[in-house]
Amino acid sequence: MMTLDNLLALSGATTLAALLLGQSRVFAWLGGLMYIGQIILLAAMNLPDVASFGFDIFGQTVGWQMDGFGRFFALITLGAALAAIAYTGGEWGDRYVQNGNSRRTLQFALALNVLAMLLLLASKDLIAFFIGWELTSWAGFMLMAQGGDRALRAALRYVPYAMGGAMAVLAGIVLAHTWAGSLDIGVLAGRLPGLANWQIATLLVLFGSGFAVKMGLLPFHLWQAPAYAEAAGAGTGFLAAISSRMGLFGLGLLLIKLLTLSRVADLSFIPGVFDAQDLVAWLAAFTIVLPTFTALKQNDARYLLAWHGIGQSGYMLLGLAMGDPIGTAGGLLHVFNHATYQAALVFSVFAVIHRTGTADLNSLGGLVTRMPLSFLAMLMGIIGLAGLPPMNGFVSKWLVYRSLMIDGHPFLFLMAVLGTLGTILSVYKLIHNTFLGQLRAEHENVKEAPWSMTIPMLALVGLGFLTGVAPGLALHYVAEAQAALGLPVMPYTMGGVQSPRGDLDMIWVVGVLFAGFGVGAILFYGFGNKSKRIHQLDNYAGGHFLSADVRYHYSDNFYAGLMHRIGPLYRSSFTWLESSIASSVDLAASLMQGWYRQVTPALVLLIAAALGLGWTIWR
Amino acid sequence: MIVLVLVLPLLAAFLLPLMPGMLRRLIGPAALLAVAGIGIDLATITFQQPVVLAVGGFLPPLGIVFQADAVSAVMVVAVALLTLLLWPWQGDDASVLDRKQALTLILAAACSGLAVSGDIFNVYVFYELAAVASYGLASGNNAAAKVAAFRYVILGGIGSLLAQVGITLLYFRTGTLNLAHLAELAPHTLYDPLGMSAFLLILLGFGVKAELFLVNTWAPEVYATAETRVSGLLAGLVSKLVLIILVRVLTLIFAMTEAHLAFLVLGMLGTLTGELAAYRARDVRRMLAWSSIGQLGMAFVAFSIPGPAGMAAGLAVALHHLIAKPALFLLAERWGGSLASLTGAARKSPIAAGLFVLFVLSLLGVPPLPGFWAKYLLLTGLAAQPAGLWWLAGAVVLLTTAIEAVYLFRVIGALYTRDDSQESQPAVNVASSGILAVVLVGAGLASPILAAPLDRMAAQLADAPSYVARILPALPMPPDSTMPPPGPVPSPDPMQPPGPTQGVTP
Amino acid sequence: MSDFSLIALLGCAIGLIGIGFAGLVLGRNLFRIVLALSIAEAGANLLLILVGFRYGGIAPILEPGRTVANMVDPVPQAMVLTAIVIGVGVQALALALAIRARNAYGTLDMRLLRERMESDIDRAAGTTPDTSRQAPAGTRPLPPPLLAKREPLS
Repeated sequence: MMTLDNLLALSGATTLAALLLGQSRVFAWLGGLMYIGQIILLAAMNLPDVASFGFDIFGQTVGWQMDGFGRFFALITLGAALAAIAYTGGEWGDRYVQNGNSRRTLQFALALNVLAMLLLLASKDLIAFFIGWELTSWAGFMLMAQGGDRALRAALRYVPYAMGGAMAVLAGIVLAHTWAGSLDIGVLAGRLPGLANWQIATLLVLFGSGFAVKMGLLPFHLWQAPAYAEAAGAGTGFLAAISSRMGLFGLGLLLIKLLTLSRVADLSFIPGVFDAQDLVAWLAAFTIVLPTFTALKQNDARYLLAWHGIGQSGYMLLGLAMGDPIGTAGGLLHVFNHATYQAALVFSVFAVIHRTGTADLNSLGGLVTRMPLSFLAMLMGIIGLAGLPPMNGFVSKWLVYRSLMIDGHPFLFLMAVLGTLGTILSVYKLIHNTFLGQLRAEHENVKEAPWSMTIPMLALVGLGFLTGVAPGLALHYVAEAQAALGLPVMPYTMGGVQSPRGDLDMIWVVGVLFAGFGVGAILFYGFGNKSKRIHQLDNYAGGHFLSADVRYHYSDNFYAGLMHRIGPLYRSSFTWLESSIASSVDLAASLMQGWYRQVTPALVLLIAAALGLGWTIWR
Repeated sequence: MIVLVLVLPLLAAFLLPLMPGMLRRLIGPAALLAVAGIGIDLATITFQQPVVLAVGGFLPPLGIVFQADAVSAVMVVAVALLTLLLWPWQGDDASVLDRKQALTLILAAACSGLAVSGDIFNVYVFYELAAVASYGLASGNNAAAKVAAFRYVILGGIGSLLAQVGITLLYFRTGTLNLAHLAELAPHTLYDPLGMSAFLLILLGFGVKAELFLVNTWAPEVYATAETRVSGLLAGLVSKLVLIILVRVLTLIFAMTEAHLAFLVLGMLGTLTGELAAYRARDVRRMLAWSSIGQLGMAFVAFSIPGPAGMAAGLAVALHHLIAKPALFLLAERWGGSLASLTGAARKSPIAAGLFVLFVLSLLGVPPLPGFWAKYLLLTGLAAQPAGLWWLAGAVVLLTTAIEAVYLFRVIGALYTRDDSQESQPAVNVASSGILAVVLVGAGLASPILAAPLDRMAAQLADAPSYVARILPALPMPPDSTMPPPGPVPSPDPMQPPGPTQGVTP
Repeated sequence: MSDFSLIALLGCAIGLIGIGFAGLVLGRNLFRIVLALSIAEAGANLLLILVGFRYGGIAPILEPGRTVANMVDPVPQAMVLTAIVIGVGVQALALALAIRARNAYGTLDMRLLRERMESDIDRAAGTTPDTSRQAPAGTRPLPPPLLAKREPLS
């Protein structure tokens, strides 16, 4: 009963229902129920489960099968979709329709994304994988393009990246077929490691580039921030949570199952010092640092979060690239953790936009008094993003740091820590400029976000807190994923890890943390003087009483000193690279158009005929 | 019965001006429906066993032979149905409409003839018939169309010239015009520089209508000025049939590596130049013209792969383009102007915009649409060849697909931008594109089922020995001794100097 | 016919094709282009007929009661008839189009016609054409040309 066939059928039914009924508010409930149904089907599945609707074509068998690795990502996908659909049913959805958009298209795009990702995650051979990959790319494009002209333009920037990446993956598939004779993932896992070094290198570059584009790995990351930031709110939450992780799914499959890390490590640039595995790890490390510090510069809250999304994927790849049980567990767990707090952060930012109409960090402030629940969600979200206890982000980052230290990569560890530093700095800017400080006069009447928006946010951070206190809940599925990939499984407990290489017990950590807070609370509330709550403007500065129109607590050029120091380091090199490639193609295109605008085509024909005859005689 | 596929439209074309009233508008579609029926009937036979017909009872290799195998049957059906979908229902006045319909029928007849003919000069005649009909159709619309059609006529005339010289060389070497007999004689007589020159001349000559690189500069001008239905017919239908002819010449007569390399190089250059030129196109019709040049280049690359794998890839690419490109041209009838004039069109015509997106995705090769399988077959076929030029062609195909995505999605972006000033698509166009979309999606979903017939078609196309066997020994040599035996005859008098015809005895 | 005249005729055929091609490549006037095409086709037809020649052959006409020992090959002659007819038709069509183009644009010069066609296409589509490679950029006055400009042919 709980089979892959039923799951995919239910997902298809959800997509069809979204197409037919999506414009009504009721569909939010119906769709939510259907997503919950899919989660139940998925969680209760016996793995590995083979679908019955495969087919044979051109000598290849195309089939679908769900294993632990796929299920891990699929559960996150469905959870993100559930959170996103809650948004569309309430006030936000109504405002969306009022602005002239189509709720039906948004629901359909969301459901189609889920279906496409399920097809991708459950693929048994590379043709099914490619079918799922392309469907995911284009469904993602459709979701990104919803919400207005800016969203459409940002999504159009995604198209060349997506197509280029897909073509690289297709080239890799074709070459794998030629060299190994089969496209079944299981069979390839046995045959591909036996290929020559240059062949493994070619496959690594081709597949790796394709997956890196989707994931937003350097240097293919430029499309992701504008596309995710400008998308519609519900869509952004879903995209930020899970969409680019499909690239990580592909990379995990490639590096660990198909090519195996040991063969990847055999491709050495400097023997004994630097090999391809190190290259992947360093790419991940740079992806952690550079986008995080780009996020530091952003003044639009959505862009800030989008750049963080790009940066955090570096942790996931870094963990996976280490190859040992703790590191890979950390990388995989980070996928789940990141989904929870990133979606929550996005939702809280969009709640602020819904109420105030702006995401510009220089125009907000002091909203903690008006939107306390959103503040709570954002606070817990940024604690998770920064990787501090008691949130789950701490666990996965700890695991990754631990594995870096154990495997002896001090510089990579420094890069990871540098990334965390940048994260902490920039999320503080986010929460300070949005919620703390002085409330603006125009936001005096802002109310809390409606329940349809606050419940998903709080549920997500609640989940994050729960899995932070008891990470064993999530580590169960992580262990399943590790086993499915063929990695050594990390021995986990309810509180974290317990292994000779390092142990962590979050229950104890959180207990100590709260005990510390408890002591502080007792001191503050019990022994301190009674404090009185007064209005924020009941104050004076410089001998003057304050009024709401005076901006006495605001921020401008946040982190000015830091920016002064590191400002020259921002060189926009990747943007330069992108635009130079675009203008080279443009130049080539003009030349070709000139070729087709000849006055006398006969001349070229004559020359070509003469050359052709010369060639035939010479041959 | 095979003869009817070209006789019926031709007869309808010439009878059309004589018909009274309502009958005049119905005779064309009726003839095409009849041809479609015959084609389907033919397909059920030829997938098992190809059919051969000696026209007029004259036996080969002197008589003209019509040979219908699976590819021919499919092409005949495609000719009939596509011409029906792109049929000119409207004209400025009655005589203009008569002319358009008659020319379209002649074009359909010539294309059907190209599909079934088995004699190289017969092919030349049908090619010229199609060419003249297309010159007439292309010049219909406006002043710019006259100039574009003139340039097309001149380039086509040069092409016919080259093809004629090529056929001259073929006849000089082998003394026969029958494709099967040429195939039989080719290894002894044509595998040398002279034969290769003949191949190049025929390739460039017939390549004009197949939009081959070097002779395709007419295409952007004609597609931009002619009616969109005519452009759809030319780009979608006629180019495929000429391509099939060139493939038959390649596999039957000139099955050498150099010939395959010529196909490959010209195809690769065509793909590259076409797609890159389309990248900077500012109006949709010329963009579609360059895109069609690029896709046909890909078809040439696919057919250059030796063996049934290449034939399967080429047929998949060609058939997919045959469905997708006319649909895009139909949609471009109202949307053919600059990109700026397209903004907001999706609001007025959501179905048409959706169809446009569907066809674009199929052209790009997004599964499960059939364009993906075509690209997959092409790339696996190329990768199976020894490294070098073949792999370069594969890289070119992948690169140009990425470039294609950018400019096609630029159009889609313009369609879906918010704007208010747009006229909607005429219902006929949307309906015809809708029919083609149904065929496309159906083909995509049914690809596993369609793979077997595709392989069968490819196997028949690639199999030169059985082509020869079914035409020549099946029909015995004529016993008539008053006709000189085929092939060049050396002078009977040993004292005389050797004649110009120095060929080898048959 | 001797060897020499055969080779001479062959040279003439190839030469005609060459002249025709040269005319096509160099021609600016539409009428000259059509003439060049027609000359080239004549050369190709001549080439085809020459292929059918047999030494000592007579014309391929059968008379009752007479067996023919050696006749020239009739097949190329049949082919050439077809080719001539096709050529005539195409040339007539080309000339008709040339007349129409002249009526519409007022010139028979290929270059001018092509430019005007391009600008018509751009105007109908609503696009702006690429900057012309012939017009100078900017408004600085140029020195007077050294040679007088030739009138365009019409």
